[in-house]
Amino acid sequence: MTAGGRRGALPALVLLACLAWAPPAPGHDGAPLAPLDFDPPRPGTYTLHRIMAAPDGEVVGLDGRADRLSHFTRGRITLLGFIYTTCTDPEGCPLAYRVFDTVKQAVAGPALREKVQLVTLSFDPLRDTPDVMRRYAGSRVSDNGHGPRWYFLTTRSARELTPLVEGFGQDLRSTIDRSNGAARRELSHVLKVFLIDPAGFVREIYTSTFLHPRTVLNDVETLLMELTDMGGLVTGPPSPPALVAPRGTRGTPRNTPTGP
Amino acid sequence: MTFHRPWRGGIAVALGLVFASGMLVGAASADETCNSPYIAKLIKGQEDYVYVWALGVEGVGDGSDKLVTVDVNPKSKTYGKVLGSVSVGGRGEAHHMGFTDDRRFIWAGGLAESKISVFDIASDPAKPKLVKTITDMGDKTGYLGPHTYYALPGRMLVQALSNTKDKGGVTGMALYNNKGEFIASYAMPTEGGGDGYGYDLAVNPKRNVLLTSSFTGYANYMRPLGELIKDAEAMKHFGNTMVAWDLKAMKPKKVFSVPGAPLEIRWSLKTGDNWAITAAALTSKLWLIKPDSRGEWQAKEVATIGDPTKIPLPVDISISRDGKGLWVNTFMDGTTRYFDLSNPEAPKQTYEKVTGKQVNMISQSWDGKRVYITSSLLANWDKGGADNEQFLRGFSWDGKELKPTFEVDFAKENLGRAHHMKLGSRALRNGP
Repeated sequence: MTAGGRRGALPALVLLACLAWAPPAPGHDGAPLAPLDFDPPRPGTYTLHRIMAAPDGEVVGLDGRADRLSHFTRGRITLLGFIYTTCTDPEGCPLAYRVFDTVKQAVAGPALREKVQLVTLSFDPLRDTPDVMRRYAGSRVSDNGHGPRWYFLTTRSARELTPLVEGFGQDLRSTIDRSNGAARRELSHVLKVFLIDPAGFVREIYTSTFLHPRTVLNDVETLLMELTDMGGLVTGPPSPPALVAPRGTRGTPRNTPTGP
Repeated sequence: MTFHRPWRGGIAVALGLVFASGMLVGAASADETCNSPYIAKLIKGQEDYVYVWALGVEGVGDGSDKLVTVDVNPKSKTYGKVLGSVSVGGRGEAHHMGFTDDRRFIWAGGLAESKISVFDIASDPAKPKLVKTITDMGDKTGYLGPHTYYALPGRMLVQALSNTKDKGGVTGMALYNNKGEFIASYAMPTEGGGDGYGYDLAVNPKRNVLLTSSFTGYANYMRPLGELIKDAEAMKHFGNTMVAWDLKAMKPKKVFSVPGAPLEIRWSLKTGDNWAITAAALTSKLWLIKPDSRGEWQAKEVATIGDPTKIPLPVDISISRDGKGLWVNTFMDGTTRYFDLSNPEAPKQTYEKVTGKQVNMISQSWDGKRVYITSSLLANWDKGGADNEQFLRGFSWDGKELKPTFEVDFAKENLGRAHHMKLGSRALRNGP
């Protein structure tokens, strides 16, 4: 990746314009997103290194059918975050939801919606069944297939989940809250959101301190500029071929949002 | 790269328990104040262990660098005792270490080489295990002497002190992922006032700022101190700069003139604060790094530590969790000082105590009530004879007085020279 250029199919202004007209992200708790405390570097003026290959494993979509996670993380730029639907930490899952929601709106136009996708993956298979995940997704999954893809996934067991959280390096702890008399299991984690390139490499890991639509969209544009430099999104960067899903053969995952 | 054992382990076991029936995890129970802000498991009560990264001494014990685990929980039957140690099988001037962001591993290294040892502290926090040795830093980057290990999300940013070419002070940073795979390197700036030197690094993620400081190269830090200070030419080769970087872009934005080898960097941990402090070793000054009224980052001298004419040599510093107090150890006079940082523009020393014949590192618990001090600076800079005490000493702090609570004599225990410390807790164990 060369620095300094403002070339590429999708300049930052387009993304920022999308943000400008997008309605405020409501999020699950309705709180507005706090402004970013710094001006991030311009897209294309920095390098997003390949941090690691995104792990793969079995997941379950909203229709309850199993699929490989890689089916939802390859071929497009993917923003992936782990959540559990009972999470109330304002700097945890609700923040991720609001950022994802804003990013979804910003990439909803025809130029971007086929190049960016969102994945929300639960790490609470006991409680977060496909039905629960559908309720959590709410209207976000009901876009009649015209908007960017936002997949809501879960797993069937800790056995399926373990290689995913371990592979991504997602911290997760469980405690028993007895403050109200009855024992209640509480999960806790430190929020991480992963930006994955079309070839399946993690290129950025956001924490709550800098997870913001501005940083995410700048990074998305930086990746798009890189892909343009290297021949476009269809062929992808020269990465291990086995990791690249040719667009023509990728197909549509079974739980592609299709509307209510 | 040497693999001692597979990297998989604790989380799988832990998750099995999590989803079986719910697991009672002990209340988070320990921490210190000078870790990376990205570290996931910040714990805030009584720590159970202090891990000490110790330099091997020829003829002492097995002579190897080692990670020593000391029980520091007053309620334990083995309080103040060594629980065990893990040798790395050689001497490489063991120096500093750091947690990965998931706090499952400690990365530790030596200044005489480019090797990094990775210890698993999550499978059993009382018994760290050496699980990997990273040996490619020199080949990948040309840097020598990994010093600071700073957790970034999923990654470890390593600040080196020297280079393999001329073993001078021009160096840089190496970025690895948590599996120990090399990602990238970043040279310290040699233009715009930069001297290319490195020492510590510290991040303020809310402001996208990385600060770095500067020391000296292998050719100097491996020489006997008494010989070095008489060599006027060699003494010119110490860092005199700090650098503010755009963290996201990993590009230097501004070089500050901070004469006299600015060393450890501590950001205020108080929410809303936006400043950092450092101590310059050779000039014995505290420096504040803070934006001015226009938002431009500036560095300015704000206090004097002891009598600079006597070269007390401030080494490690430790900031309180509220950003209102700073411990400063000065090596030569073996003194531990406390500065009131209520006004970071004008720190005031409010306390001092001689805590050893030579003192270097200092760490405090999250609540500030316990303070730990070690003795060794560098193998060839430590004092000789009876002044060469080697210890880990624990103290209690009530805001008025440091009171000794325990001591581990590293010489008597045949453990070598006690250097960097990290706090641990059994509550952070993965699995049963």
